Amino acid sequence: MDWQSFWLTIRLAVLVATVLALLGLPIAYWITYSRWRWKFIAEAVVALPIVLPPTVLGFYILIALGPRSPLGRWWQSFTGHTLAFTFEGLVIGSIIYSLPFAVQPFAASFAAVDQRLLAASATLGASKLRTFLELILPLSLPGLVTGIALSFAHTMGEFGVVLMVGGNIPGVTRTVSIDIYDKVQAFDYAGANATALMLLVISFTILSLVYALNRKVWAVWPFK
Amino acid sequence: MNVETKPDVIVEEERASSVRCALSLQLRKRFQTRDCSFELNVDLEIPAGITILFGPSGAGKTTILDCIAGLTTPESGMLNLKERVLFNGEKGIDVSPQNRRVGYVFQDLALFPHLSVKKNVQYGIASLPASEREERSRQILESFHVAELQQRKPSEISGGERQRVALARALVTDPAVLLLDEPLAALDAAIKSKIVDDLRAWNESHQIPILYVTHSLGRTRHCASEW
Repeated sequence: MDWQSFWLTIRLAVLVATVLALLGLPIAYWITYSRWRWKFIAEAVVALPIVLPPTVLGFYILIALGPRSPLGRWWQSFTGHTLAFTFEGLVIGSIIYSLPFAVQPFAASFAAVDQRLLAASATLGASKLRTFLELILPLSLPGLVTGIALSFAHTMGEFGVVLMVGGNIPGVTRTVSIDIYDKVQAFDYAGANATALMLLVISFTILSLVYALNRKVWAVWPFK
Repeated sequence: MNVETKPDVIVEEERASSVRCALSLQLRKRFQTRDCSFELNVDLEIPAGITILFGPSGAGKTTILDCIAGLTTPESGMLNLKERVLFNGEKGIDVSPQNRRVGYVFQDLALFPHLSVKKNVQYGIASLPASEREERSRQILESFHVAELQQRKPSEISGGERQRVALARALVTDPAVLLLDEPLAALDAAIKSKIVDDLRAWNESHQIPILYVTHSLGRTRHCASEW
C-alpha cells in the first residue's frame, strides 16, 4: 500500500469537495431559479463531464492550463511554473471533472423546496439571501450531503483526467488510481489488490453513509 | 380559445367605521398556454375590514392575491394601498413582496417545516431587537391561543393549530393588508368559528383590509353568516 498516494488522494478529494461545496451552491441556485431562456446551455456545460471521456476532458484542461493559454501564462508569471503536472492543476482539473456530481444534487434539492415556502418568506420581508440561508439550505440538507459526498468519492476514484493533467509524479500528482495502474503494469497484483480494496471500501462506506443520512426516518425533522 | 373573466363577486363586506377605500386595484393579468389564453381583469375597491371574494376554481382568485402580494406581476394596471403605490404599470412601479407589508396566509399555510412555531412566528420580525421580538411573538401567540405550542414543529400540531400559527405569523409583522387564501377550508365549523372570532378581535384594534377568498359558495355563505 502506497500511503503517500493515499494521503495525496485524500487531500485532493477534501480540497475538491470543499471548493465544490462553495462553488456549486451559487451555480446550483442560479440553475434552479434563473429564468434566462438560454439556461439549458449552461446546464449542458455543467453536465458535460458526466458524458465526456475523461481523456477528452483531461486533454482540454491540459491545454487550458498549459503555457500557451491565458490562464497558464498568468499562473506562470505569478508562480514561475505552469499549472500542468502540478497538484494545483490537478485540483482545478478535478473540480471541473466533479462539478456535475455536486451541482446536480444541489440543484435537484433546491428545486424540491416548495415554492410557496419561498413566497411566504418573501411576504414576511426576508431577502433572497436570507431565504437561501434560512430556508433553502436547511431544507436541502439531504441533497447537500449527497453532492459533497459524491464529489469527494468521485475525486477519490478519478483516473483519466488525473493522468492527462497531472501525470504520475510521486507525492505531487500520483493518486491511488494511478498507483493501482502502475502496480498492474508491473504485475504486482497483490499490491494493486490492497490499494483497490481500500478504494472500494472507502467508496462503499461513503455511499452507505449518504444513503443512511438521507433516510427520512432519521431526518432531523419529520416531513409530511 | 380566449377566455375573459370578470372579477369574482364580493359576497360580503364588513366595513370598518371608516369606509374609505384602503386597497384599490385595477389589474390585467394574462396567461398564455398552448391551447388557450386567459385574461383576468380585476377592478376592486376594498375597505378596511373583512371582504370575502368567491368564485369557482381556476377563476383567478389566488392570482389576485399573488398580484397584491407582489408574487406575480400583472401586465398592466395599478395597485394602491392607502396612499402607497404598490404597482403602476404605466409608471413602471413594482414594489417587491418584501416591501409591500402584506400579510399572506396561503391555502396550504406554507409554515416552515424545520422551524418551531415560535421561530415561524418570529421569522417576519427578525430585524427587531430580541426583547421586542419575544414580546410581540408572545402576545400574538397568546391572542391566537397557541402560546403553549411554541416549541413544537408544524408537523407536531393539529390542523386547526397550524391555521392559528399561520395567522399569527402573518399578523405579527403588523401588515397593512391581510390576504387569506382559503386557509380555513379544511376545518370543521366549530374550530373555524373560534379562529374567525380571534381574527375579528385582532382586527378590531388594527382595522386593516382583510381579503378572504374561497371557491365554495356554501362555505362562503357559512362564513358570511358568521362574519
